[in-house]
Amino acid sequence: MNLRIRLTHRPRSLVAPYALDALEPREGARFERHLKRCDACADEVRALTESSVRLACSASVAPPTELRERVLTAVRLTEQVTVEPRPRTAPRARGLLIPLGVATGAGALTVAALFAVQLERTSDRLDAQRAAAREVARVLAAPDASAVRADGLNVVASPERGSAVITVTGLRAPPRGKAHQLWLMEPSAPPRSLGVLPDGGSDTPVVATGLTPDASSLAVTTEPNGGSARPTGAPLVQLALESVGFGG
Amino acid sequence: MRADKLLPMVGQGDVRAYEELYELVSGAVYGLVLRVLRDPAQSEEVTQEVFLELWRDAARFDPRRGTAMAWVLTHAHRRAVDRVRQARASREREERAASRWHRTAFDEVAEQVETNLDREWVRRCLEGLTDLQRRSVTLAYYEGYTYREVAQRLSVPLGTVKTRMRDGLTRLRACLGDAA
Repeated sequence: MNLRIRLTHRPRSLVAPYALDALEPREGARFERHLKRCDACADEVRALTESSVRLACSASVAPPTELRERVLTAVRLTEQVTVEPRPRTAPRARGLLIPLGVATGAGALTVAALFAVQLERTSDRLDAQRAAAREVARVLAAPDASAVRADGLNVVASPERGSAVITVTGLRAPPRGKAHQLWLMEPSAPPRSLGVLPDGGSDTPVVATGLTPDASSLAVTTEPNGGSARPTGAPLVQLALESVGFGG
Repeated sequence: MRADKLLPMVGQGDVRAYEELYELVSGAVYGLVLRVLRDPAQSEEVTQEVFLELWRDAARFDPRRGTAMAWVLTHAHRRAVDRVRQARASREREERAASRWHRTAFDEVAEQVETNLDREWVRRCLEGLTDLQRRSVTLAYYEGYTYREVAQRLSVPLGTVKTRMRDGLTRLRACLGDAA
């Protein structure tokens, strides 16, 4: 018996391990493909999942009360997916935007990480994505985190962590050959690029780390495609960071 | 209102439905994640991720494929299992002190757990399984081991673990069905 035969042998026997999330990722993906063709398997998964759901419910513990506020704040920054397939537009360079939920694929919250830009090796990128995801969670969880929004810029920032999570929504699309670029302004330093945004803004949080206490504002400018080293135009929108504990 | 009603409303961007759904399922989500991860801080982090994704992906919920509760908890369980497997891979290099810390943290939390009827029934039904069925199911579901790892830990063949998991879940379902 060769390996290939053994691996594909009686996939139905994997129903119970699947209902318990006890397959290895590759095996799980293969079994999910099989599920699409096997109605009997899908029925059995549904039935066995009832048991695992009861196992889950029996472990119920009230979460800490602060978690509710954090979740509701974070939700205000998070765009929802729609199920209708969107019209496909020409592929665009996505700048620094990278998916957070690499493990779960499409649909997971996506995030952009500043520091991912110098990294090229795939495993490094993966680590960077995980680090970005963790940083989003930590900023949102920081006891000193607060939120401010204006003109389509939404910011949750933690001075203690020196980090901010930013989303940009509702910007008018840039002219052809141009792109919107997000900047951090500090009086003591030249504007720091936080990345080029997709058309219409970024519904994916951008994580800015290493903020100094005198970081004064965020701004979006229109730049040539691919972005500039320094802002060349007047800000389209600008948001002071004073109310979230910076700029002092 | 039931989760099956609320989740499609959340998919339409209804924030109040989302708040109501949070009240309804947050205990089960957090409890499950905590049961798998055993570390309150990490569990909070994962629970937060799960709820963000729930908001984001609510429109993908398809009632033909199961209940809303199953959808939410399956998602939460996968997240927790991903995290515990990652942690386990790196923890193998860690010293004993760390795992002792994890255990203490869990014990403290376990004391705060409020008893409920469901918990009692599940406990009884688990006790009704054979030892091998019970350990196969709980090592996988509550501790995040793959069935291959479970087979290794219990020193039984892979095929045996797969059938014990299946028999265990089927018997649990019958037992819990009686209780419901």
